[in-house]
Amino acid sequence: MKTKKLDRFQGILLLIIIIYSVFVAIKNPAFIHIETIFDITRVASTTLMVAIGLLVVMISGGIDVSFMAVALFGSYTTINIMIETGIDNLAFAFVSAALIGGLLGVINALLISWLKLPPFIITLGTQNLFHGIMTTFISDKSFGAGVLPESLHAFGQASVFKIKDVGLTASVLPVLLAGLATWFILYRTMIGRGIFAIGNDEESARRAGFNPFRIRLFVYVYSGILAGIMGMMYVAQTNALYPNKLVGDELIVVAAVVIGGTKITGGQGKIFGAVLGVIIIYLLNTTLIMIGLSSSWNNLFVGTILVISVAVTSYQEKVKNRNNLIFTE
Amino acid sequence: MKKLVSVLLCLMLTAAMVTGCGSSDAGSGTGGKSTKETKETGEEKTADPEEYQVVMVVKQSDSWFDDMATGVEQLKKDTGLNVSVQVPETGDAASQISIMEDLIAQGVDAICVVPNDPEALVPTIEKARESGIVVVTHEAPGIAGDVDLDVEAFVNEEFGKLFGEKLATAMGGKGQYAGFVGGLTMETHMAWYKAAVAYIEENYPDMECVSKEPYEDGNSIDGAHDKTLEILKAYPDIKGFFDCSAQGGGICETLQEKNKTDDIKVVSLALPSMSATYLEDGSMAAGLAWRPADAGYATCYAAYLLASGQKVETGTDLKITGYEEVEVKDGVAYGNAPLEFSADNINDYNF
Repeated sequence: MKTKKLDRFQGILLLIIIIYSVFVAIKNPAFIHIETIFDITRVASTTLMVAIGLLVVMISGGIDVSFMAVALFGSYTTINIMIETGIDNLAFAFVSAALIGGLLGVINALLISWLKLPPFIITLGTQNLFHGIMTTFISDKSFGAGVLPESLHAFGQASVFKIKDVGLTASVLPVLLAGLATWFILYRTMIGRGIFAIGNDEESARRAGFNPFRIRLFVYVYSGILAGIMGMMYVAQTNALYPNKLVGDELIVVAAVVIGGTKITGGQGKIFGAVLGVIIIYLLNTTLIMIGLSSSWNNLFVGTILVISVAVTSYQEKVKNRNNLIFTE
Repeated sequence: MKKLVSVLLCLMLTAAMVTGCGSSDAGSGTGGKSTKETKETGEEKTADPEEYQVVMVVKQSDSWFDDMATGVEQLKKDTGLNVSVQVPETGDAASQISIMEDLIAQGVDAICVVPNDPEALVPTIEKARESGIVVVTHEAPGIAGDVDLDVEAFVNEEFGKLFGEKLATAMGGKGQYAGFVGGLTMETHMAWYKAAVAYIEENYPDMECVSKEPYEDGNSIDGAHDKTLEILKAYPDIKGFFDCSAQGGGICETLQEKNKTDDIKVVSLALPSMSATYLEDGSMAAGLAWRPADAGYATCYAAYLLASGQKVETGTDLKITGYEEVEVKDGVAYGNAPLEFSADNINDYNF
């Protein structure tokens, strides 16, 4: 019963995507091309990565707005190390960025568990804190194409396979891996059950034998690791490194995850939903030129869809509660 | 357990304090001193540069403004002028306004600013001038009436024509093209864009601009990248791009991905450290710039001249290459310092 309803919600999102695509295709036939799908995949890959991490945090009833700062911190620090020492190794880059991301995730989790303050406030604070530490103590220089490790650029330009000169970006691999790992953790492990449990009701979860502290530690570290990896993907794709990018773009990811049907209060959310949410935002974002609209339309579209999807999620919740004879209002 | 918490908390607090106050520390320390001196000596303040505190507020932290900071450092070394640079966290008017408010409260002698959105800064600029602070802008001739002086590296229309000329030469004078600016509110970017398009319309009738308005790359390389992807699909016959913000690398990166570097020409505002690779591998036909270090030098020096009661008029020497003989018109001091990059000369510059 529950899964069926969620699928219906995802069905609505799919329907929006299809109707909009048809509309764009009528306006501009150049849209109907396998290249369009590949391009959107590439452009959205970094956002997908952090959206998956954020999804896990939000299912557990928390929120993380520091992940972009974590991503920047992880990649920026790693690249600095690589340039200083001359290491030019893709594996090192990703492992190091992921480790730094995980460490920053530990800080987030510890602060949230010990201070017992809302995660939004804590991660808003750590977002500035991490970024501040980075620009003050590590460096605030920008790096251009010439000095960045060559292996990273090669990864950014690489394709998994090609159809007539049009390649699918290699960045899709880490995203797929992260998606599969997350699916496995959420639905096939005890930690996954714990994440859903504390998202629904922390006290009940505690009485059922889950340790909320450990679960929380896990979700923020996991989100940090994915953010670190995402930072490295971003550098590989743009082939440039600035100390002030990424940070400030977190809310559009939150919007994507919420559009995907994730409950802000926790306990409910699907990976496929978050993926659809990201795709909707990027689909709107990357087709405005094709249909000849200015970029301010983007905000209008995203805002409208966000409000509608939040309303639909909350309405479905109400119907479900009524069916179960729970009256909250 | 509890000990660990308190130790961690202390660490975080210290870190926060260092990061939070680090930037204003240097400013307020010396600032306090110099205002005191001003009050004590009153009208008798001499023209000695060491007695004046000038602060430069740049747009954001990137290699362009890193280079500008080195120019400002050089000015400090050359003249002993008490000059420093403030870098906003984000590239918007709000963060520049809050920095300027702080500087007004500190009572510095002059503020130099490279506005992200000139019009939005006008009320704050007025407030600064009411409290006796000299305000000099760079890259904002449109609000020259509201400031003490605006310093430009060149007449914007002339520089914009260079974009048009370089692009037309690279494209062989025919085909569709598109132009980027950082944002539609960025005055200089818009002036160059308009001049470039007007120049091409006048001289190359076979060239066609695909859009009425320029595209915005949001001053970010991935912005330029993503928009280029889209433009390539919407206008498959396009033959050239020019970018008035220094993000042409994002366009070249896209063209490399799509194997179109030979068919499509790119001309961009460029910084050697960020664009050298693209000029060398041929994906960028030409780069245009002016030396940010020199512009920062000239702007701060002009601010010092005004703060110390001296004048900046046509013929005034701002002590740095390209600005030896500025031309002052309607409150704007124009230098003559455009810089053209090609694959051959890009390695002569290290900013």
